[in-house]
Order: sequence, then C-alpha cells, then structure tokens
Amino acid sequence: MTKPVPAPPRAPRRRPRGGAWARYARALRTPRGITATVLLLVLVALALLAPVLWPGGYDEQTRDALAPPSAEHWLGTDEFGRDILTRTIYGLRTDLSLILTAVPVSLVIGTLLGLSGYLSSWFGSLMQRVLDIILGFPGLILGIIIVLVIGPGWTALFFAIVIAGLPGFGRLARGGLLSEQQREYVLAARTLGVNKSTVMVRHILPNVVDPLLVQASIYMVVAIFIEAGLSIVGLGINPPKPSLGAMLNVGARYVETLPSYVLGPGAVLLLLALAFTLLSDALNQAATRR
Amino acid sequence: MTIHSQEAYQPVPDSEDSSVLLDVRGLRTQFDTADGVVRAVNDVTFAVRPGQILGIVGESGSGKSVTARSILRMVRPPGRTTAGEVVYRGQDLLALSEKEMRELRGREIAMVFQDPQSALNPVMTVGDQIAEALIVHGVNKNKARERARELLGQVGIPDVDRRLDDYPHQFSGGMRQRVVIAVALASSPSLLIADEPTTALDVTIQAQILGLLGKLRDELGIAVIMITHDMGVVAEMCDEVVVMYGGRVMEHGPVEVIFEHPELPYTADLLAAMPRIDEHSAGRRLPSIPGAPPDPAHLPTGCPFHPRCRLSESICEQEVPALLPRSDPRHLAACHVTQRGVEIPPLVPAAASAGARRGRDSAPLLEITDLRVDVAADRRGLLRRPEPIYAVDRVSLTVSSGETLGLVGESGCGKSTLARAIVGINHPASGTIRVGDHLVGSKEQAGAKALRETVQYVFQDPYASLNPRRTIRQSLEEALAVRGVPAAERATEAVALLERVGLHERHLDRYPYAFSGGQRQRVGIARALAARPKLLVCDEPVSALDVSIQAQIINLLESLRDEFNLGYLFIAHDLSVVRHLSDRVAVMYLGAFVEYGDAEAVYNSPQHPYTAALLASSPIPDTAERTRERIVLGGDLPSPKNPPSGCRFRTRCPIGPLAHPERTICIEQPPPLAPTSTGQVAACHFAGELARVGAVV
Repeated sequence: MTKPVPAPPRAPRRRPRGGAWARYARALRTPRGITATVLLLVLVALALLAPVLWPGGYDEQTRDALAPPSAEHWLGTDEFGRDILTRTIYGLRTDLSLILTAVPVSLVIGTLLGLSGYLSSWFGSLMQRVLDIILGFPGLILGIIIVLVIGPGWTALFFAIVIAGLPGFGRLARGGLLSEQQREYVLAARTLGVNKSTVMVRHILPNVVDPLLVQASIYMVVAIFIEAGLSIVGLGINPPKPSLGAMLNVGARYVETLPSYVLGPGAVLLLLALAFTLLSDALNQAATRR
Repeated sequence: MTIHSQEAYQPVPDSEDSSVLLDVRGLRTQFDTADGVVRAVNDVTFAVRPGQILGIVGESGSGKSVTARSILRMVRPPGRTTAGEVVYRGQDLLALSEKEMRELRGREIAMVFQDPQSALNPVMTVGDQIAEALIVHGVNKNKARERARELLGQVGIPDVDRRLDDYPHQFSGGMRQRVVIAVALASSPSLLIADEPTTALDVTIQAQILGLLGKLRDELGIAVIMITHDMGVVAEMCDEVVVMYGGRVMEHGPVEVIFEHPELPYTADLLAAMPRIDEHSAGRRLPSIPGAPPDPAHLPTGCPFHPRCRLSESICEQEVPALLPRSDPRHLAACHVTQRGVEIPPLVPAAASAGARRGRDSAPLLEITDLRVDVAADRRGLLRRPEPIYAVDRVSLTVSSGETLGLVGESGCGKSTLARAIVGINHPASGTIRVGDHLVGSKEQAGAKALRETVQYVFQDPYASLNPRRTIRQSLEEALAVRGVPAAERATEAVALLERVGLHERHLDRYPYAFSGGQRQRVGIARALAARPKLLVCDEPVSALDVSIQAQIINLLESLRDEFNLGYLFIAHDLSVVRHLSDRVAVMYLGAFVEYGDAEAVYNSPQHPYTAALLASSPIPDTAERTRERIVLGGDLPSPKNPPSGCRFRTRCPIGPLAHPERTICIEQPPPLAPTSTGQVAACHFAGELARVGAVV
C-alpha cells in the first residue's frame, strides 16, 4: 500500500468557493455590481410603482402644452400638455417590460440552437447557417420586416429583439460547446458512461453559461436601442402609449424650445444602459477570474 | 573552516576576476500579492564564466525562471527585485537605467523561451524577425537581412534562401526553436539564457537542439544559463549546476561532482527517484520523495525541504542552512545534516505490495487487429468530405490482464488517437478492437456498458481532466453512480477509493484547484478505478508532473496493477518510465508500429533504427554517459496526411536511402513487421544494423 501523502502546504487561494450562485452573488458584491444592482432596483421600482406614484396615468392632460419645467411639472409638458416626467417613467415601464422578457427568451432559444450540435453535428451546422442568415440582416431592417409582418407595437418589438439576439447567443453557445466537448473532464465522463444529458447538464452547460450571461446583459443595452431605433422611425410602440424611444423621437423636434423633453428620457435610457453595462462587467470579471 | 553567514559568503573566491562574465550575488525577488509576500527568489548567488554552460535545475515553484527574468530585469509587477547585485562585466545591471538595460538586452544577454510557438510573431516572416533584432540595435536593413541568412544557416535551418521569407507557422516545433535561437544570437551576445528550451520538444528534436546549443558554445564561445527540470539534460550539457528549491540555491558545483556525490538529500533523492533508461528496474518499486514541492507563497520555516527530508532534524525546522563549501571547495551545499559529515544513506524503495497477484491470463483483455483511424472523419461538415487522414494505420496489439504494454513515440505519431479509439472516443475506419469478449462496433460511443466495465482511461493533464466546478466527492460519486452503486454506499466507497490512491477522506469536499498536480492525478486514477475496469489506458499520466512526484504516481500505478491484476496500455514519450513499467513495448512512428516486443529485448538490442535513435537521444542523468555514441535524427516527423512512400521512416533514417542511396527498396516497399533474431518484431528492411549503438545496457 502506498502511504497517504502528506498534504503540501497549500495557500488558501482567493478562488471562488461554492457553486455558480455563490460566484454570481460575489460578482454583485463588487463596487460595479453594487452600483448596477442599486441602479437597476431603483429603475425597476420606479417602473413598477408608476401607477401608484402617478395615479393619473400617462395620458392626463393639462391646459399647458410644451410648458417649461416647473415645480408642478419637473420636466415640463409635451405637445399635448402631458407631464413629461410621468410619461418618461411609464416609457421606462414599457422598455423594461420589453427587454426583461425578450432578452431572456432570446437567450434561451439562442442557447438551445447553439447547443443543438450536441444531438447531431449536421443539425448543429444547419442551425449555425440559419443564424448566419439572421446575422445577414442589419437589426433595423430585421425590425422593419417583422413590423411589416406583425404590425407595429409591443409584440413586434418583442419578436424583433428576440430574433436579433439569436445569432449572438447561438454562436457563443456553440463555441463553448465545441471547446467543452474536447475537454478531458468531458471525455472522462463519457468514458465512464455518464449519460449524454447528464454530461450536458453537469459538465458542459455550467462551463458555457458564463459568457452567455455576460452577453445577455450586454444585449439588454442593445435591446433598448433596438426599441429606440424602431420607435424613432415610427415603427415602435403605438401612441399614446409612451416608450423611451418614441419620446426621444418626438422630443427631438422640440430640442431647441424644450430641451428637457429629450433630456429626461435620454437620461433614463443612459442610466439603464449604464446599469446593464456595469452588470455585464461585474459578471464578466467573476466569469473570467477562475 | 570558519562558518560564514550566507550573506557574506562569496562562492566565487575572486569575483572581481575578469574571467567572470556574470556574477549574481544575494539576489532577492518577491511578489506582493493579495495572499501576502511571495519570496520567489531568495538570496540567490552564482557566477557564470565565458563559454560555460550553467544549469539551473528545479521543480515548479523553485524560482528558477524568476531568477532568469530577474537577471534581465524582466520581472513584471507585482514582482520586484528587492536586493542583490547582478554584475555583468563589472557593471551592476540592477543599477542601470531602463534605456541602458534595453541596449544590453539582446546585444549582450539574450533569452530563449520555452514555447517557440508563442515566442515568434505569427504575422512576420522569420527573416524579418531576426533582422528586427539587429535593426533595433542600429544595423542597416540590408546588412541585417544578410546576417539573418547567415544566422539561420548557423542554427541549422536547411534551404535558408527559401525559408527566410516563410512565416513561423510554416516551421515545425523544432525548427521554430532554432529560429528563436537565431533571433537570440542576432547581435552576437556573450550570454544566452535558455528557459526550458527543449521541454516542449520531442526527444529526437531535443537532441538536435541540445546539440546545437553545445555547438554554439564551442564555436562562438557563448556562455549559456540553461534552466531546466530535467536532470538528464543537465548531466549531458552543463559544466556547473545550481539546484534550486523553494526559491533558494540549495546546491551548487561542477556537474560531475554533484551527480557523483550529492551533498543535499533533495538532489540525492531526486536522482534516485528517476527511473533509468539504462537500468533494468521493472518489478521493483521506485524510491520516492514524499509530499510535493512547496507553494512559494507558504514556504516552510527553516530549510524549505525539511518537511519532505528523511534526514531532517529539529534545527532544520528553525534555521535556514547556509550554502557552504564541502570537501571539494567548488561544491557548495546548504544542509545542516550533511555539513556535519553525515553521509546520505541510499533511498530505499517501499517494498512491493505483499499481495501481488500479478499473473498473465491467456485470454487477452484487449485485442486490436489491423486498426485504422481516420481523424478527418470528425471534421466532415454539411458539404465537406475531407480526404481521410489515418493517424493510426494498420496497428495490431494485445494486452492481457496483469500485463503492461508500453507505447512510445513522438508527438503526432498517433498514440493518443489509438488510445482514444480503444475507449470509443475516436472511431475505427477499419480493423477490429476487441475488449474482453466484446467486439467494439465501428460507431460505438464511449461509455457503452460493455466498454466501460472493461476499460477506463487516465488522462495526461491532471489540471484539465477534473471539472473545476465539481468537488472530488461529486466527481467520484458520479462514476460510482454509473456503475450502479446505491446512493447510500457511494460515500463510503468514495472514501475507500481515495484512500487506495493515497489521499484522505478530508479531501473529498474540496475542489480540484485545492490540489497539487500529483494529487489531481491520484483523483483521476481513483475515478477511473471507480468503474472497476480490468484494463487502464494511461495516456502520458506522469508527463505533466514534477520529477519528484512522478515516482509516487508510477509506484501507485504499479501497486494497483499488482493488486487488481489490471492490464495497462501505458503511453509515454519518456522511454525510461516506459522501461520501468512495461513488460512489452511498442514503438510507434507516423501511425504505425515500427518495433514491438518484450521490453528487455527492445531496450537491449533495438532492431529498428528509429528505436535505436530514440534510445540514444534520451538524456541520461549520469555524467559518465556523456561519451556514449549518439544517433541524432535529422528532420521532423512528416505529416500523416501524405506519409512517405515505402518505409515511412526513410526520410529521417540514418541507415536508409539518405545515407545509402543504393537502398532503393526503402522507397519502393513498405517493410512488414517481421520477427528479428532477438525475438521482437521490427518493420525495417535492414533490421538490427544499429542495434549496438542504440542499446542501453
């Protein structure tokens, strides 16, 4: 019998302990993570509480159209005399409802498409070519086509965001799959006879999910701009319902007379983008420092 | 003799002597990390004379590479050199300005790195890269190109005029290392620092590069600092050697003296723990050093080696031993115990396990007939049907229980592809694999029940073969679950497995990063054993490990083989390890076996010229072997995409048509594996011609 070997004096390394959740939780405790989380929580709380804080809704009109900022209307009123601040918050509500549903859906579908090569390699290649075709259309053109099919509105934006995100998620997932499949621990599990789905769930997926989550938070920002872009050309949210993009579109006309019309929604949009960028940075740091 | 303190002692009696080229005194380099201060280089002192080859030898974390970088002031933050002098031709390099240092680097002292792949810029031709090294030191462009041509010739690149404008990827690994050396030689430095220059290369290529470095020393009078972990390379190449451990110089002196009579238990044990290619050691255990090299962030107090030392006394735990001269004044060693004149007793190997039940069965566990594996088949796309590439081409072998078949060959010869075909990761294009009673289907997946119950795989890289996100318990219990062990019993079985491979229950809930390489390899072996296989395919299981750890793992594999009567297919490029473990040996070249037979027959009288060359190229850690005859193979391994006609080895063969143009049979007819007079089979038309030269008796 070999004698048990004395354990070498090992450093208590600053390495992630525990599972994936603990790692993500740690990512959120970094300065960037904290800033992002606080910012996002405030924005989401505002959006959720909008009907309570502004019970009048986004359609309440006053006599004054295009009134400058005042104590009553912090950002002034729009061309129909509606409070711009209220509409900005309701617009934020629309945007958040869009991206917080569409991006996860896109993430899941894209990942599945990317990982489909695990079932059969020719099916995987076929799916990649499908994603290449989607990638061939610029986001705006793709959006316009979808709007033409479905008609403008929340649903069209939802599908535009879902579809435009697929190539990114799909390719990342496939890249991860291809490299993980060659890893020795994956080969070891296969040789032991661990069944295929368990190998996927235990050994492959946890190791490809990090870049995908980073991509998802980056794509949140892109999704906001897809909404804004389509709304700016008038193919987004239908009036009178506000969205940040639609407000920017209209507000741009009054940028000289009433700059706060664009500054309000613009600032919220920036804060939202900032929050997701910080979040993706924090996650990325946690993901690469292994 | 007076006892000097270590700081005051100068190993070079007259260090102002002009014959000293580089004088390193009391060098200290540390890294300020979040875990605290890591003293990577601690009070290192040595000197190099012109035309001398100095070896710095040590295991991972011993500080040898940081020493080299500190000399050139190339330590990156958070690392910094805090004390000492590096005197080059009377000038303290640590006191120079950054600009003066830049001038000196490359022109006076050049460096060759381990990995020729990443040391060259992939988007520049090699000619331009060599010329660049000259142009930065002020040579004009045409002259620089002329010199580049001359240098490439000097380092032995054939057909220089054509190759000058090739890119690095068009060169093989060995040729790239030659280019790297040419870059280093560009402005005729006086000192070359080579950091593991041959570690990434195969033995026949290593022999070429070592020969080149020796030639450069002889012809140009360049001094070389050779950093390596390989005692064999030191014995063959170096004049003097510095043994480092835990950031300190522990022993220093002329190579012959240290190899003959080491005064440091670490050096003595390390030499004893290495299997010898020229020694019949099969059947007995290797003596081994317990434990693992220390983590430089948590060095033990006193002598860094004391926790693993068999002569350790209480003073060793408290006081750092001073580096003091021994009976030969050129020989310095840092050891409290041997300083008093205590002789180091020979390291006794652990006794072979009592219950050795090893005995060959008549029915083979593994039987491969005429196997071909097409590695291009996996690259088939929707519209692509690539030409087949047979990485394994018509190979037949058998392995019985209790028996070890050693498989040696250089990288790219197809040995891993063969191993992976056995467990179903690669699929055979033709031929048959029979595992136990089961004939493996051509599309059978890895892990199919009949396969996994007979054969398991031990991977090369212990860092890559364990999922970083799963604890050892999870990894082992997964393997046990597949075998059908009920959940309630898995924990006890996992503990039993761990203890069998020399680990402890407390290791169960740790993640792989908490383990050293050797411990991870033990976990990898435990996981393979969890399936209760009859045959283990070991793919280079010790080549990624430190020298002092290798013997532990080899002993473990041996005792497991004897206890469970396992059959092994043991793959390695290290011929001495293979000799120690194997009953029979197969030598593979470019997808096919060139020689196959009993280990003793193959090693004692190699019949194929390739086997003879492999044996003759392997460095032997014994200075007495310096004079033995060498067969240095020219050229590189051809691509398996279009192997040479006739005999595959003829493009490099020292007795083939290159040396004897009348031997056209080698070009026209592939030689069959035919029985030879000494009992093994060899695929050579002129088998046995080099047997005497290659034999290592």
